Amino acid sequence: MEMFFGQIINGITIGSIYALVALGYTMVYGVLRMINFAHGELFTLGAYMAFTMIVSMNLAAYIPNAVVALIVMAVMVAGLVAIVGVLLERIAYKPLRQSGRLAPVISALGASIFLQNAIMLIWGANYKVFPEGVVPSITWEIGGVSITLMRVLILSTSLTLMIALYVLIQRTQVGTAIRACALDHDTARLMGIDVDKIIRLVFIIGPALGGIAGMMVGLYYRQIGFTMGWHYGIKAFTAAILGGIGNIPGAMVGGLILGVAESLGAGYISNAWKDAIAFLILILILILRPTGLLGERVAEKV
Amino acid sequence: MKKFALVMLVLVMAFAVTACGSKDDAADPIKIGVQGPISGQWALEGTGFVRAVTMLAEEINADGGINGREIQIIQGDDKGDPKEATLVAQRLVNQGVVAVVGAYNSTATEPASAIYNEAGVLHVTPSSTATGLTEKGYDQFFRTCFLDDRQGLFAAEFMTGTLGAKKIALIHDNTTYAKGLADWTKIYLEELGAEVVFFDAIVPGEREFGPTLTRLKNVNPDAIYFTGYFSEGGLLLKQARDMGITSTFVAGNANNNADFIEIAGIQNAKGAIITTEPIPTDIDYPEARKFIDDYQARYGEMPPSIWTLSAADAFRVVVEAIEKTQSTDKDKLANYLHNTMKDFPGITGPITFDEKGDRLGTVHRAYIVNEKGEFVPYSN
Repeated sequence: MEMFFGQIINGITIGSIYALVALGYTMVYGVLRMINFAHGELFTLGAYMAFTMIVSMNLAAYIPNAVVALIVMAVMVAGLVAIVGVLLERIAYKPLRQSGRLAPVISALGASIFLQNAIMLIWGANYKVFPEGVVPSITWEIGGVSITLMRVLILSTSLTLMIALYVLIQRTQVGTAIRACALDHDTARLMGIDVDKIIRLVFIIGPALGGIAGMMVGLYYRQIGFTMGWHYGIKAFTAAILGGIGNIPGAMVGGLILGVAESLGAGYISNAWKDAIAFLILILILILRPTGLLGERVAEKV
Repeated sequence: MKKFALVMLVLVMAFAVTACGSKDDAADPIKIGVQGPISGQWALEGTGFVRAVTMLAEEINADGGINGREIQIIQGDDKGDPKEATLVAQRLVNQGVVAVVGAYNSTATEPASAIYNEAGVLHVTPSSTATGLTEKGYDQFFRTCFLDDRQGLFAAEFMTGTLGAKKIALIHDNTTYAKGLADWTKIYLEELGAEVVFFDAIVPGEREFGPTLTRLKNVNPDAIYFTGYFSEGGLLLKQARDMGITSTFVAGNANNNADFIEIAGIQNAKGAIITTEPIPTDIDYPEARKFIDDYQARYGEMPPSIWTLSAADAFRVVVEAIEKTQSTDKDKLANYLHNTMKDFPGITGPITFDEKGDRLGTVHRAYIVNEKGEFVPYSN
């Protein structure tokens, strides 16, 4: 039983990272009906920016309080990655918005390759290692299950961000505008919504969340590499589809389910089978519910 | 065109025949080839081969040569490339070498070994560890390096003997190398009576090993042996310690990298052990001391890696065989190396070959991470 709870906690932690990254995919898909394949690289960028702030800029020397330092760092990482996200949209996607569905996807693949290589050229191809003790390594033992402080931080940060996003989307005027754009650009424009502005906003929120996820992965595992975005990107993309792409609570649920499924698969069967199990679940769900767990059945616009 | 090709063929064959004919004349020097990547990405290793062999040959010549005949070294640069390797091998054969030391990487050694086998040239590789090389039934092919199964044997003996572990967990990453090492270690552990309580793979590039470690924690092993690479090794060690797993952590030679300690963090890495080929200065046989001193005096720097020492051993084994058999006939040389030579005092330890030409024994050592985060030789 201890092992079971241990695996559930493992799964929720990694799942909440997947969910955070998945939100970026799902929001972009929601308003633009395209897959932003460069999102994984924005995640990597978040990890590398946090690395630079800690190692090269020695952030801790300016801000002695660890909690404040982490919050400042998270805000800065989110801001910088969001700027790259907005530039990405402006340069790679906006000029192609009227040219069918395939062109932006190809452009996204190109942007992904470009960003990955840019990261390699700027920071180098070697693994980068975060210094120890940025987050104190405190471990609690609860009923035979070890939980580290960093896991608690990852969980609470992701959940807070997800709840905040949910409130923003469902309860505010901006959120209503985003949902309107997701339904129909032209009608939204007739209602006086600046669609371009909303799309920019989506490319601020998504990359910012992805960047924070990258930073947390860097802080937790302490080892980052320029190709790491692919691994997390593909998992998060799966999570987005699992929950119903375009659906924000769906991405959260999808991420958590994927994380837990992987974790139980690795724990009870074999780690080598982990991905096979996760994708088997994806296939089963898509057979039973082609639009994903929480995806709504929307009639195709003609 | 056909006629031209025929003429060329005759010419080439005539050349080959004369080349073979002039092969063994008692007054001529004994020609020994050294093949390796003298240029290209592994130039450091290939240059080490040439330097080691040249130095030893000059020492022998200064003492009057082998059986009164001088040694002539012929270099061949294969750049580590299999296509170049066949050209180099053909050229060395044409020049009438009786034995060849090389090549560095298995991909280059493999095509060359077929040519040497056909031409009846004794072939000793210092560093190519691909298992398949000695499975071809070539009776004149030997290697002075150890295969991964030797590391497995060393790890198994070390964990059960020195560490006294009874229950051992093995983790690999499904790559050919890591899986092979884990499989061999498992075989030897079971032969030694230890229990393999956990055997599973992680995925390279993965960062979260919590699920695997949670399961591992339940079987509570005395020692964990990880056979994959340092980038995952360091993370695995850190996450194991975070989860409260206190088993001794042992890792294979792909973790012999400072990043392993950095990724795990010194606190976690302290006391972790790796099994690996020793660095040249840690080999304490008298032959090794002399070789390293001579090398340093002559070239002003340390041998670049253990493979330079292994190349020196390959050459010394060839010389030993020629000296003892008073012959350059490859059957006599091969027979001597296979059957007669036992525990030849090599630079990298006693050398004995088995019937396939693989080396018996092991050169591997255990290194432990000390408080300062450095690998130091393990001692009880």
